[in-house]
Formats: sequence, structure tokens, C-alpha cells
Amino acid sequence: MADPYQTLGVTREATQDEIRKAYRRLAKKNHPDLNPGDKGAEARFKEIASAYDIIGDEKKRTRFDAGEIDASGAERQQPEREFYRQHAEAGPGFKYERRWEGAGPDDQEDLFAEIFGGRGAGARVKAKGPDIAYTMSVEFTEAVNGAKKRVVMADGKALDISIPSGLKDGQTLRLRGQGQPGFGGGEAGDALVEIHVMPHPIFRREGNNILSTLPVTPGEALAGAKVRVETVSGTVEVAVPKGSNTGRVLRLRGKGVPSPGGNGDQLVELRVVLPDHPDDELVRSVTEWEAKHPYDPRKSQGAQP
Amino acid sequence: MMQVMISETELVASIDHVEVEALRRWVDLGWILPQRDGDNLRFDNSDVARVRLICELHYELRIEEDSMSVVLSLMDQLYQTRRSLHTLLSAVEAQPEDVRARIAGLVNPQR
Repeated sequence: MADPYQTLGVTREATQDEIRKAYRRLAKKNHPDLNPGDKGAEARFKEIASAYDIIGDEKKRTRFDAGEIDASGAERQQPEREFYRQHAEAGPGFKYERRWEGAGPDDQEDLFAEIFGGRGAGARVKAKGPDIAYTMSVEFTEAVNGAKKRVVMADGKALDISIPSGLKDGQTLRLRGQGQPGFGGGEAGDALVEIHVMPHPIFRREGNNILSTLPVTPGEALAGAKVRVETVSGTVEVAVPKGSNTGRVLRLRGKGVPSPGGNGDQLVELRVVLPDHPDDELVRSVTEWEAKHPYDPRKSQGAQP
Repeated sequence: MMQVMISETELVASIDHVEVEALRRWVDLGWILPQRDGDNLRFDNSDVARVRLICELHYELRIEEDSMSVVLSLMDQLYQTRRSLHTLLSAVEAQPEDVRARIAGLVNPQR
């Protein structure tokens, strides 16, 4: 503990009045609330106050001079005191901000005005708002043909989204200005909508072509037939050529995914399908026919019959 | 932070030296800005700390009321500037590393 005379910068012969004056001068100079940028001010201020506590009081000073108490022993057990600066430094919007005389609101934010050429914290910091990411599922045919979809954004705002034709799974649509608001007059961010295309029970997509399979009866496959086929743009009638086998692919020109460079095609793979419960008549007639006209469908695979 | 509002009577009782007349004068001078609840004044934590500071400066350190206006005015401006500075520093801290490094280079070129 420092010597209280030294702390206050007075001689041991100083009068009480001189001590009081020295204390006031030093306390004013080191008051933490008047020195908010000085981290050491609080400690110095407390030391000055403690020193004055001893030698500013004539009785205590006599006892101290006589060696009856020392500087630390006489130290006032102060409760942790609260300084004004703890409030004043707590954050912006402090109520005493606009108090001083003559200062209109215009004069107070000069610091920002100088930096950003405007008044107000960041008022002239013009920045685009953040983007917002969404995901959305669309039907297979909606993605192929294009569609209008209504989505409800996070803020409850409904938004009509135009799904362009030919959209692929995983593609992202950018909706300009539908993200979060901008700062300081900057434009709003964008909404980024990632599209998930749901699978279709019949169609698959390969590039701009649509793949599907077409079940036909043995009779249709043998004799040829006109059958109705689903396409992404509606039902069409397709001629199955006479003698078509399973695996034959019919190409429906222009029935694939719409595209500026020419639409894709639909590729229809035929599949000859037996009835679910073939009856004796069918079995007998086919086996009798095969007995008279044997053929080996596995010849190409080199397997023995 | 929870604000506990206290009355004029409670305030006078909780701070050494201060008297009602002086307190009312300081409120009239605009040094203290309590809330007005009809005829009653309500003081929040920052008002109490400010009254305590003014008391200390006035009664212990003998800053007279004429000088006090100047002291408080300068002090308020100092705190206002510091709050603005902190706001600005927070904005700088929120910037990416390279932007902060560029700002640091301009603020303190010898480093």
C-alpha cells in the first residue's frame, strides 16, 4: 500500500486544507467517469480516495502518523461501487445522448457522416440484402412443360414462381429482389429456389428425351396395332409395327422435353406381356406351334436349349 | 438489463448529500432526465448513477454548478463519441479478415 502522503502528492507537514485541495484536484483528474478510455483511472481513483480517507481525516491522520494504523489497515471496505460510465457505455441509444444544449439530431452523428457521407449509423452504407434459400418440389410434367407455382415465403408472403419448361432436378431459380431487404437503400436480396423434380410412374428423363415402356399383347406385337401412348404433352396414337419384339424402341419425334434448339423425343420401349393367367388353350396352341417351328431365342447368348 | 425505477424520495434516501431541492434543480436544468409519472418523477439505474456522479463532483470535489454544465456537456459528448466508435468497431469486426486487415493498415500504418 502506497504512502497516502505520496499518493496525494503532499508533504507530511501539509495542512488539512492543502490535503483536501490536493485530493480534489487528483480525484477530478482521475475520476473514472471523466476518463472512460483510461483503464487505469478506476484503480488510481480508488487509491486516491483511500489515501484521503486516512489523512483527510484529522484524527485518523494523527493515528497514522503515530504508526497506530497503516495505510492498508485503515482502508475503507467499500462495496464494489458502480460508476456512471457502466451505464453510459452500455450501448447505443443511451438516454443522455441528446441532452446537451444546442445539439440537434443533425450534429450528433458527425462521425458516421464524415465516413459515409450521410447521417445515422450506416445510413449511407448501401448494401444488397441477403439472399434467402428455399427448396420446392414440382411434378415431373410441370418441370418438363413449365408451370406457374405459388409458394409461401418464410415471411408469409405468397409468391408466384414461373417454372420454365425443361427444368432439371436440382436446378436453382433466382428470384430477383425476393430475398431480405437491402440496407441504406440498397436493393433487396434474391430468393434462391432449388427445385426437386418428383419421379414419375411412367416417364424417365435422359437429357431432353423422355423414356417410357409400352406393354403390348403378343397379338399386338405379332400382327401390329395402333395403341394409345401417354406422352408428357397428352395421349397420342402410335402404330406398333407388325412383328415387334420386346425391347423394340419406337421414337416419337418432338414428344420429349421442349427446348429452343428443337424438342427432345419420347423413346417408347415395347414389352410383350402375357396375360396374367394364361389358359390351356393359349398354352396348347403356342407349344404346338413351337413344336412345328422350333427356334432358339438364346442363340445369341450361346446357351444350350 | 432489468430497469428498476425508483421515486424521488427513494433516490434522496439512497445517495449521500443530495437534497430534494438540488435534485429538482438538476432535473430542471436537464442534467437528469427522469420519467414523469403525473407529478411524480421516476428514476432508472442510469439516472441514479448520474445523480451519484453529480453529487460526488459537486459536494466532494467542489465543482460548482456553473462549471458542472460544461463538465456534463463535455462528458455527454465524450460518451456519445465512444458509443459511436464502438458501433463502428463492431461493424469493422463483422467484416471479413481481408477487409479488417486493410482497415487496420490504414488506421495504424506503421504496423
